[in-house]
Amino acid sequence: MISKTAIKHLKEKLGEKNVLHEKEDLLVLGYDSTPGVHHLPEVVVYPTSTEQVLAAMEIAAREGLPLVPRGSGTGLSGGSVPVRGGMVLTLTRMNRILEIDEENLTATMEPGVITLDLFNAVAAKGLFYPPDPGSQKISTIGGNVAENAGGLRGLKYGVTRDYVMGLKGILPDRSLITTGGKSVKDVAGYGFKDLLVGSEGTLGIITEVTVKLVPPPRDKRTFLAYFNDVRTAGEAVSRIIAARIIPSTMEIMDRVTINCVEDYVNIGLPRQMAALLLIEVDGHPAPVAEEAAEVRRVLEQVKAAEIHVAETAEQAASLAAARRTALSALARVSPTTLLEDATVPRSRLAETFGEIERLAAKFKLKVGTFGHAGDGNLHPTVLCDERNHDEMERAHAFYNELYEKVLDWGGTVSGEHGIGLAKKEYLARQIGAGGVKVMKRIKQSFDPEGILNPGKIFEDQDSGAEQHLEEGFRVSH
Amino acid sequence: MSHTDSLGNFRPKDAPEYEDVLQCMRCGFCLPTCPTYALTGRERSSPRGRVALARAVAEKKLEFTGAVKEEAFFCLDCRACTTACPSGVKAGEVMEVCRSQAHAFYPLGAMGKTFREFILQRMLVSPDLLEHSMLPTRLYQRLGLQWLVRHLGILKLGPDWMAKAEGMLPSLEKPLRPQLPEVVPAQGEKRGRVGFFLGCVMTLLYPQVSRQTVRVLSHQGYEVVTPKATKCCGAPHLSEGDRQTARELALFNLDLFLSQEVDWIVTDCAGCGAALKEYEEILAEDADHHRLALFRAKVRDISEFLAAEGLRTEGMKEVRRSVTYHEPCHLCHAQGISNQPRQLLKAIPGLELREMAESSWCCGSAATWGLKYSEESRQVLDRKLQNVTATKADILVTANPGCQLQLAWGVRQADMPQEVRHLMEILGEAIPD
Ligand SMILES: Cc1cc2nc3c(=O)[nH]c(=O)nc-3n(C[C@H](O)[C@H](O)[C@H](O)COP(=O)(O)OP(=O)(O)OC[C@H]3O[C@@H](n4cnc5c(N)ncnc54)[C@H](O)[C@@H]3O)c2cc1C
Ligand code: SF4
Ligand code: SF4
Repeated sequence: MISKTAIKHLKEKLGEKNVLHEKEDLLVLGYDSTPGVHHLPEVVVYPTSTEQVLAAMEIAAREGLPLVPRGSGTGLSGGSVPVRGGMVLTLTRMNRILEIDEENLTATMEPGVITLDLFNAVAAKGLFYPPDPGSQKISTIGGNVAENAGGLRGLKYGVTRDYVMGLKGILPDRSLITTGGKSVKDVAGYGFKDLLVGSEGTLGIITEVTVKLVPPPRDKRTFLAYFNDVRTAGEAVSRIIAARIIPSTMEIMDRVTINCVEDYVNIGLPRQMAALLLIEVDGHPAPVAEEAAEVRRVLEQVKAAEIHVAETAEQAASLAAARRTALSALARVSPTTLLEDATVPRSRLAETFGEIERLAAKFKLKVGTFGHAGDGNLHPTVLCDERNHDEMERAHAFYNELYEKVLDWGGTVSGEHGIGLAKKEYLARQIGAGGVKVMKRIKQSFDPEGILNPGKIFEDQDSGAEQHLEEGFRVSH
Repeated sequence: MSHTDSLGNFRPKDAPEYEDVLQCMRCGFCLPTCPTYALTGRERSSPRGRVALARAVAEKKLEFTGAVKEEAFFCLDCRACTTACPSGVKAGEVMEVCRSQAHAFYPLGAMGKTFREFILQRMLVSPDLLEHSMLPTRLYQRLGLQWLVRHLGILKLGPDWMAKAEGMLPSLEKPLRPQLPEVVPAQGEKRGRVGFFLGCVMTLLYPQVSRQTVRVLSHQGYEVVTPKATKCCGAPHLSEGDRQTARELALFNLDLFLSQEVDWIVTDCAGCGAALKEYEEILAEDADHHRLALFRAKVRDISEFLAAEGLRTEGMKEVRRSVTYHEPCHLCHAQGISNQPRQLLKAIPGLELREMAESSWCCGSAATWGLKYSEESRQVLDRKLQNVTATKADILVTANPGCQLQLAWGVRQADMPQEVRHLMEILGEAIPD
């Protein structure tokens, strides 16, 4: 239990309204978007400056409270769920863009800036920040960095890591660090900036982010292609890549997903089609025209059922927006949506679809699949009811077998959502005991006391922190 | 399959459906659209947080605590979250239901009861009483509001709410209802028979608006029936958590309008329209399904109706002004009507429509919310007014009396040049006599 004095000190340092400990506030900050996990913190703080983050950390350390950084809680692997209770440190009130440097093409900001707000702010200056997770309307930059989030433009432009140039943060030993900066080249010492990216809030709290900006593409062409079966869509993806074309976007939705999205957006997606691909090529006008012609040729070759080209920029934008809602729209169908993040080498895409179909039938599950097809990053999503334990068991078995295959094919258990709580067991399978050992040593050197986000990525038995589970909420996962 | 008790810690009557709260997958898409989350940055004042609270009560992880009650009433019921939610969760409606739960768990004190009985259950259910109260003196005095303010701690109305309420009142004309003929004939070739649902606030505070609505309908070829017996739609009661009186009113209006043999039931009040369209749900257990469906199929907002039927524009007069359009929550979010008012504005010759940023962001009025949370309401309103100012339009158009009151007040307070008008006033200007 957190002491009254600790609460008092927190309020002194952070201000009355930035420290919450009523049951109702704790209840609503014990989850992220990962289904089936909910654990109560003991206190929630909303620092508004680096100094306040530091003060909160000091108090947490003194009280022996686990400390869990949180952005907007859109994470899909349980990263910001306080499994051992303690303090949830929410960074959404540190949301200022500090600088957009047009000479160096960088932007520097606090971690709570909403991804879309950054995108819009730089776009207003004629610049482009490419990473765009489906959750961009509400996810924070800090959360994106901590998860190394990908997005709809990942195929050509890469993921968050490719844009992070510098970070400031506080390590669990309360030291302030700066790593990287505005220099395009920097090889001074170990590159632990790259360690912090994707560290899922276990190595340090990021308090400032500098990202690289690029000039926006001059032109783009958006295709929407429909298919009578999912495997053909997968084949189209492989063939486009094989034709040496790198579209900026190549997103897929299967029939179940198309229907859920259409229920929400009502833009006339054909409900009977087995799959759709959203393909965008961008860049300078001349190559764009050439690539667009090539994409069309491949689509015709594989016999796509229908091929459409977006006529206006708004139309293209609304298609991308519709795709972004896929996961949330799937949640219409059933009380619980269990989503995974299976990623395979692109040449295996068609087979992966086959495998998903086979396993869904085998375990009698309703599965909707969508994802970043161009990256080989699929999100098979089991639509189920967490009150039905038998169904949850089958879902578990489904993912088990699927990941078995994915790993056999040289894929990964997480393309972008991270390991968090949800995939600890699979991580060990992917990287082996040796890999886990090295990772634990890294964690140990950053966080010898084990106070920062314990219980994530891998089991940390040595932390000694008490298990703080809220009974009844956990489902097998 | 192990079932959690579907009611949990809720009282059985008028509890949220467990399935409705389970549907939330906590993606957070609703967060950036919620005015109360924008105000506080506090998760429990967000749609996702509110649904989580309701879920915790349903799962017996939480009692129906004071904080839950607070959130139920702090929610503006603007339904922006409903529009934003891909999963089909209706956080605003869940909170509306929770308001009646709040009364079950925290019974009103004597004064609160008096308020409820007097205003909600006596004045607002009787158009005659309401109108008479208007005649001799100002609305708020005769409604006993002044008396209530002095005696009523319980409603926690904001400190300066009375000054605001008084400041908001437009100069009053005579109520429209007694003046309006029960049947106004169609002009030109007749296109049908419309039942006009005249709202309480419309007849009392904005008679000139509804007068135009009837005139426009008649000009457009519709015979207009305005039943004198019409009672309040029930929206204020739902908003205060008095679902029982709301149901009684709904039943009355349902019978009344179905007996008129009209092709459509049209209203120019977005709040009334939203309530009428929800009779199906409110009365699900109290009325015949067939009749509810029949009623629902006839209800239209005036802009929805005219846009769908096609405006007769020949002979329309020019209106050489620029306007910007504020979307009432109960039109765009509750009824999904967003394009139609714009279509009508664009059809008026000479009129220039200048879009404002965030046109569907709430104005902060929200029934009595703006009086209870006057400081917060001011902040929501300021954001709106800034967006209005940026357009430099001559006229600020809306389509709901609550918004009109709040916006007109705000514009006056901020010394802005804009006139604030109902869509039907502008359209009426273009319709020849
Ligand atoms: C509908 C939907 C679509 C999505 N689409 C995508 C997608 O296309 N691509 C993708 O990659 N992800 C996607 N996600 C997952 C999620 O949005 C991302 O992981 C996102 O980056 C999380 O950001 P957040 O601000 O919500 O962080 P949270 O969920 O709050 O936190 C995520 C992790 O980051 C840590 N953290 C947060 N802030 C900090 C900080 N300042 N310092 C240190 N650690 C911190 C937390 O401890 C936690 O481990 C999607 C999620 C949803 C709900
Ligand atoms: S209410 Fe809807 S939009 Fe909001 S978090 Fe839940 S599912 Fe997402
Ligand atoms: S109805 Fe409005 S105020 Fe209430 S939760 Fe939804 S968006 Fe927020």
